[in-house]
Amino acid sequence: MKRILLIVLALIGVLSLMAQEEPTKDRPVRAPFNSGILIDNQTSVIPADKTLEFQIQHKFGKIDNGFSDLFGLYAPGANIRLALNYVPIKNLQIGYGLSRIRMYSDFSIKYTIHEQTRRNTFPVAVAVFANMAVDGRNKTDFGNNYKFGNRYSYFSQLIIGRRFNDWLSVQANASFTHYNITEPGIDHDKVSVGFNGRVNFSPQSSILFQYDIPLKIKSITEHREWTNPAKPNLGVGWEIRTSTHAFHIYLSSADGMIPQHNAVYNTNDWTKGDMMFGFSIVRFWNF
Amino acid sequence: MKRKFFFRLTLAVAAFAMVAFIIPQEQKKGAPWDIPKEYKEKKNPFKDDASLEKLGKTIYSKHCRSCHGNAGLGDGVMAKNQKTFPGDFSSAEFQKHTDGELYYMSIIGRDEMPNFEKKITDEEERWAVINYIRTMKK
Repeated sequence: MKRILLIVLALIGVLSLMAQEEPTKDRPVRAPFNSGILIDNQTSVIPADKTLEFQIQHKFGKIDNGFSDLFGLYAPGANIRLALNYVPIKNLQIGYGLSRIRMYSDFSIKYTIHEQTRRNTFPVAVAVFANMAVDGRNKTDFGNNYKFGNRYSYFSQLIIGRRFNDWLSVQANASFTHYNITEPGIDHDKVSVGFNGRVNFSPQSSILFQYDIPLKIKSITEHREWTNPAKPNLGVGWEIRTSTHAFHIYLSSADGMIPQHNAVYNTNDWTKGDMMFGFSIVRFWNF
Repeated sequence: MKRKFFFRLTLAVAAFAMVAFIIPQEQKKGAPWDIPKEYKEKKNPFKDDASLEKLGKTIYSKHCRSCHGNAGLGDGVMAKNQKTFPGDFSSAEFQKHTDGELYYMSIIGRDEMPNFEKKITDEEERWAVINYIRTMKK
């Protein structure tokens, strides 16, 4: 009887000690990606608050002319986007960019709703991204009955990602695009899905990949048949990250810099070799 | 009159050229750091944590190597652009600093040594770099 009592008392003691132990807070994982962009996509990563980012994104011509134009590097018709992003408070980023194609001015916002945590209490990172773009072309490009609202397009995206380990991080996304005005045969609304990720192979370098698929959904199309639907965007690239810069060099099939343009207007078919080289440079300042 | 003027001008240019070639342009050695007491006494909670070795090397490569060099000898590609020698991490003089002092010098910085509080935000990552710098001891 005495022995049983002693064992019970010892168990109660151990259990109460365990109950008193305060669990340490489950911290976010180390950054799943080295920067906020991944070829043509956004990542769930937002830098520290009061960070200013300057982005230079450049796409060359298609590679299909071979060496005659150095695989598109010397071809005319490149696309360029310059952008500034700022993080006013932790996990919230706002930005403005200006693209050469259609002189789109895009105003964007990104928010990391929840970061992935180390002990898997929250196993994925969840972020949302949205932008509004203003087509900056001459009003004559918008046909009859021009109104300023014809210039607007909208993009919104849910991003879910996971850092599996030190070398592999993957994301999936779902997005909705709306253009107030489009050309004949082109839908105003588009739902897309995509996945992308990085494979870290050295302290500063990673391989990047992306595949974005505009979906053909009968219930939201305005047309009886798909005459020239937007094609998927395949991309593969190499990222180098330093203390103050991120550099991307990549091959991708869409020529747009803003996601809604690629979701609605990309007619380049990567299965037929319609790819182009591109690069991005991001410069970070911390205040 | 004109000849005198040109003679004096030539002398002035020659004197300037001589001075320009003579003035030494060595990097100056950094003055001793004025480190606050709370950092001198700061303890490294991840001391001897071998699991952080790879992380420390990654962060050092990204943020430090360009000035401080692969082995911390102050011979990185950007080192020559600095007015102050970045320091020799392998020396006994450097390694005799406490972990807290190394933390201050690495993360808070001064002058040409940037502040990394916003770039290396996680405490574990900061100490991982300090642990990695300790491995550079000769």
